[in-house]
Amino acid sequence: MARSNEVNLNECKMVVPLNTWVLISNFKLAYNLLRRPDGTFNRHLAEFLDRKVPANATPVDGVFSFDVLIDRGTSLLTRIYRPVTAEEPLPDVAELEKPVTAEVVPVIIFFHGGSFAHSSANSAIYDTLCRRLVGLCKAVVVSVNYRRAPENRYPCAYDDGWTALKWVNSRPWLQSRKDSKVHIYLAGDSSGGNIVHHVALRAIESGIDVLGNILLNPMFGGEERTESEHNLDGKYFVTLRDRDWYWRAYLPEGEDRDHHACNPFGPNGRSVEGIKFPKSLVVVAGLDLIQDWQLAYVEGLKKAGQEVKLLYMEQATIGFYLLPNNNHFHAVMDEISRFVGSDC
Amino acid sequence: MVLYDDSATLAGSCSGSSSSFSSKPPPMQQQQDIDDLLAGAGYKVRSSELRKVAHRLERLETAMVNSPADFSQLASDTIHYNPSDLASWVDSLLSEFAEPPTCPSEFIMDPVTNQTVANDVWTTTNPNMPQVHHNISYEQQSLNNQLTVVTAMEEDSGIRLVHMLMTCAECVQRGDFSLATSFLKDMQGLLTRVNTVCGIGKVAGHFIDALSRRIFQGIGGGSINGGSAFENEILYHHFYEACPYLKFAHFTANQAILEAFDGHDCVHVVDFNLMHGLQWPALIQALALRPGGPPLLRLTGIGPPSPDGRDSLREIGLRLAELARSVNVRFAFRGVAASRLEDVKPWMLQVNPKESVAVNSIMQLHRLLGSDSNLNSPIETVLSWIRSLNPKIMTVVEQEANHNQPGFLDRFTEALHYYSTMFDSLEACTVEPDKTLAEIYIQREITNVVSCEGSARVERHEPLGKWRTRLSGAGFRPSHLGSNAYKQASMLLTLFSAEGYSVEENEGCLTLGWHSRPLIAASAWQAVSHAPAALDTHRPVVSGACDRNFSSTHPPTALASLLFLKRNDEEEICFESGEKGTPGLDWPYPNKEREMGKNAASQHVHVSISPHLSTPLALPYNIFIRDGHFILT
Repeated sequence: MARSNEVNLNECKMVVPLNTWVLISNFKLAYNLLRRPDGTFNRHLAEFLDRKVPANATPVDGVFSFDVLIDRGTSLLTRIYRPVTAEEPLPDVAELEKPVTAEVVPVIIFFHGGSFAHSSANSAIYDTLCRRLVGLCKAVVVSVNYRRAPENRYPCAYDDGWTALKWVNSRPWLQSRKDSKVHIYLAGDSSGGNIVHHVALRAIESGIDVLGNILLNPMFGGEERTESEHNLDGKYFVTLRDRDWYWRAYLPEGEDRDHHACNPFGPNGRSVEGIKFPKSLVVVAGLDLIQDWQLAYVEGLKKAGQEVKLLYMEQATIGFYLLPNNNHFHAVMDEISRFVGSDC
Repeated sequence: MVLYDDSATLAGSCSGSSSSFSSKPPPMQQQQDIDDLLAGAGYKVRSSELRKVAHRLERLETAMVNSPADFSQLASDTIHYNPSDLASWVDSLLSEFAEPPTCPSEFIMDPVTNQTVANDVWTTTNPNMPQVHHNISYEQQSLNNQLTVVTAMEEDSGIRLVHMLMTCAECVQRGDFSLATSFLKDMQGLLTRVNTVCGIGKVAGHFIDALSRRIFQGIGGGSINGGSAFENEILYHHFYEACPYLKFAHFTANQAILEAFDGHDCVHVVDFNLMHGLQWPALIQALALRPGGPPLLRLTGIGPPSPDGRDSLREIGLRLAELARSVNVRFAFRGVAASRLEDVKPWMLQVNPKESVAVNSIMQLHRLLGSDSNLNSPIETVLSWIRSLNPKIMTVVEQEANHNQPGFLDRFTEALHYYSTMFDSLEACTVEPDKTLAEIYIQREITNVVSCEGSARVERHEPLGKWRTRLSGAGFRPSHLGSNAYKQASMLLTLFSAEGYSVEENEGCLTLGWHSRPLIAASAWQAVSHAPAALDTHRPVVSGACDRNFSSTHPPTALASLLFLKRNDEEEICFESGEKGTPGLDWPYPNKEREMGKNAASQHVHVSISPHLSTPLALPYNIFIRDGHFILT
């Protein structure tokens, strides 16, 4: 299809600042080098190219972080970000897991993006984002370093998310004073957004309370080719081919994109009608080619009678929330802080 | 609970996790107009260059669309360097694209994976590596099961222990030794309630011991690293076997050396700490296999003198020579016995100006640091003479930790985190006695960091950021380790070590760590070139003539085990060691004949003192005749 091969670079340069364009184009380029046509992934090169940052128990801008291994069997690491309190501007390094002191402390379990194959909890871009969330929501953020495709297919990412949820829920030091319970929110971008939905489902099945879901440009799809996919293919950093590659890498072999992991309200989906699904905040970028699926997700939640707020950012591309240099970024951050703050 | 603390890296690293860094700008950001936001994402791009980089990215994208086959070739064959420097990375990809794809670099994998085989050649106890791996995964399973049974009470005791350690250290810093002593007693008590076989209990025990030493024996007290050189070598060897840190150091350094020696026929490696020469079989094999044939390889190994008259350096040299002979690599070895690195003088290394030099320092440079940046610290002297050798490459591996801070409590805290992580990683090893002896090896480091001061404290580890600053300041520039070194390191780790180890790329350097904490960092450097010295004339540097022939009958001295000197009719003065008929030791420089095997007394041997050495020193050497030896000073 000639159209999908046209690289309309000029258009996308108009809608994002130059440094954002450089950043996302760099990712696009690098990711192209990493995906092999036979479905395998150049993991060594991916890790080599990924810019990572260490945890830092010394507060920077009021946030400190430390890594915790929550499951040795799967080497499941999480990076925990905490705000410093007025009483203790310099946290005691031996007491990183000191109990939270406020009446209500939101704990945001964050799943980074990367289409299930890229990035890590210690990737620089996600470390930055999580730090922002701490300040914004006065929350503790737990960023999960889930296992990635294609080496680890469905349901590994969801399993790891579930392990993290259980772990967070059982930490006494994360309990809010008000009710001695952990106030949990799930948040994620791209594949992380997809993980949020599926982990929330498991939470309900097991009776763990999740107070809210935040999905930033969540990764959904389906067999059908939608209008947005036709119109936007290859125009704003993302192509249909690469989307297909990632689904093939994540979904079980032989499954198609109507698998419920990819298409939660599709022909094989699971209805969330009548269950206590958390309220959702779904952010959709107007220049994201999979927006039709994201909008369908929102519709699916609405039809099932669930509380959902849609933030449709018309001129936003993927990754707009990575750098604070555009209006969409600030608008979304404000919404997120309201969303998390509203349960006091 | 796992303790990871990276407050140290904040000082030196420039991979800022927040674009709004407090007070001081990271040391590496010398150019003022680096784009802040991209820096926060881990990329260093000048704002003024953004457009240019964008343009190049565009060109690459177009190329990608137009010829996808070539593009995928880029992925498999190209070696990538320092992804943080986005402009260079993009440029290098573009240039690959412009030219027809070149042959991929050859001499990478096999020699390095043969490393363990090479070890078998000349060390006695060495279990077959792949088998060990198999055992590890089985053992790891049962260990995992054990570990998950840690009770809540134990976890709590562990946390209290850590808290107490910090408080005790704080008392020590304040000078309140009586309170510190009572803490020590409490901690001994707590230890009985905590699992000391693994986890926090084990490492806490070592720190408690170290604190006791400091309090009761005083700093620098007694023979802390009292072990003999022989003991140290044994412990080092077991540390080498038990965990991948030293193996990583060796093969990363070897890869860099191999690449630097490409196209050179006369090469000389200077090893700052020979130990059992574990690093070198792999390099010898790699050189043997390189296309175009191996160079002449000289290895100068520095190590402490043996007390009992044995020449252990020479013994190692002989074994290496045997290996080299078996793979047809012309090889020469020289041992330089010195108790301290700062006692080594460049002339002892006998570097020939025509050869390409690699200087290899595995965890040695930190020993030269003083606790305050005073004038003429040994590090500066040594770095300066290294530079004067004009090495093709200098490989530096150091512990990635900040154990040289002036404040005791800071140092203690940092060490507690660092060594907990290291001990944690050692849990994965199940082979004895490797594991136990490796732990003793690490314990000695802990003891030195915690209980010694002044010149007794030699384990003065500093993080990568600080070494970058220091080495750049001393006239070196980084030679980036590339993606294939990274790949090999990762692959070897997967093959030979337990899960949990991770290699990371850090602006051209590679680090190996446990889970997300880097513990050891490898980097490579080149001397920033001066104006070239006059290479063609060899200044005669000997004053005084001598026309007698001497041979050495004395056992090795601390200065140079292989020195006897003759003057011949030519203007050059030469050293050679060489007992009759000893192959592999000190072959003469190319172009000169060797008249070995004849009566030692009538040997004519040559050496030339490199102008590089004499130029900075600018002093004539003097010869002294002593006990049948010539000593050149």
